[in-house]
Amino acid sequence: MHGFWQTGKGWALPVSGVCLVLGALLGLQVHTQQLRGEMEVGRRSTALISLLSNSRAQIDLQTKEIERLRTQVAKYEKGAMSDKGAAALVTKELQNTRIALGLLPVKGPGVEVELDDSTIRGEDKGIGGPGTYLIHEFDLLQVANELWAAGAEAVSLNGQRLVAGSAIRCSGPLIQVNNTSIPHPFVFLAIGSKENLLSALNMRGGVLDQLRLVKFQVKVTPKDQITIPPIAIAPKYSYAKPATEETP
Amino acid sequence: MIALPLLALVIGFLVVYRFSMPPAWADYVAVAILAGLDALIGAVRARLEGQFDEAVFLSGFFVNMGLAMVLAYFGDKLGVDLYLAVVVALGIRIFTNLGRIRGLFVRARMEAHRARHVTPSQ
Repeated sequence: MHGFWQTGKGWALPVSGVCLVLGALLGLQVHTQQLRGEMEVGRRSTALISLLSNSRAQIDLQTKEIERLRTQVAKYEKGAMSDKGAAALVTKELQNTRIALGLLPVKGPGVEVELDDSTIRGEDKGIGGPGTYLIHEFDLLQVANELWAAGAEAVSLNGQRLVAGSAIRCSGPLIQVNNTSIPHPFVFLAIGSKENLLSALNMRGGVLDQLRLVKFQVKVTPKDQITIPPIAIAPKYSYAKPATEETP
Repeated sequence: MIALPLLALVIGFLVVYRFSMPPAWADYVAVAILAGLDALIGAVRARLEGQFDEAVFLSGFFVNMGLAMVLAYFGDKLGVDLYLAVVVALGIRIFTNLGRIRGLFVRARMEAHRARHVTPSQ
């Protein structure tokens, strides 16, 4: 036992030789695994980048098409408006319906609500795991709900107009609005009475209070002029038909 | 005398680190590394028990390494994860040998302790 670390006969040399071989194999293996990891990441990110730029180009193209068609419609409407008084009335009615459907950009006074993940995030001190400190789709739904309840006439979330058929969904790591993925921070724009909106949002124990409790980053700013974009894809009605023949 | 093998390990690592191999070989090399580690730890144990033999050690090292790789290769060809068998078998052996080595060291220390403290009082 005692002479263990001393040079024994026929002990140190073969073990050192074997260690050399073992070390070489380890070096080879570690280096190869590292290269493999890097390669995989590289390959995946280039694929994703090309996918992203393709999608962006596609979106640009379609957005331009939508704009073109909308100006065309506006031109036709202008023609109809100049015709007669009755036609003007119909056009006014059409205008309101379009606002309700989210087909027209609208502007007016209102509030901006900016939400972002909790500052506790990353420190990982809190209870309930990291998911507790991320904004979830239900947080956004609650805020949207509160805005509508406070009389907001038009609401958008990260540039996506919220209309009757808008869904705010969780899709894995991202949140989707109107089937479009949106990144954080989440910015609501709401047009309506500034006072009503502010007091509804800042209600004691209300939606934002609960978010602030867990140190979510919440910023509410009243604004005199807000422009809210139209919805990207107009709703289609394939199944729902009017139940009465005439509209009153 | 632990310095020379450690130095050899580090030198081997650093010399080969700049090279790389086809990723498909990675599994075989991993199994080979495990076999080599097993032989090395087995040698330490044999040395502690006073049974170390150079021929047994060297042949065990290279033959086990080759055998492990061959088994993994055949497993691949047969569609059975035979390298798992190698990993399990070698893993158990490494743990058993480490346990023996620890036992030998602890016993040696206890004996030394007893020799120092018990003898003068009697």
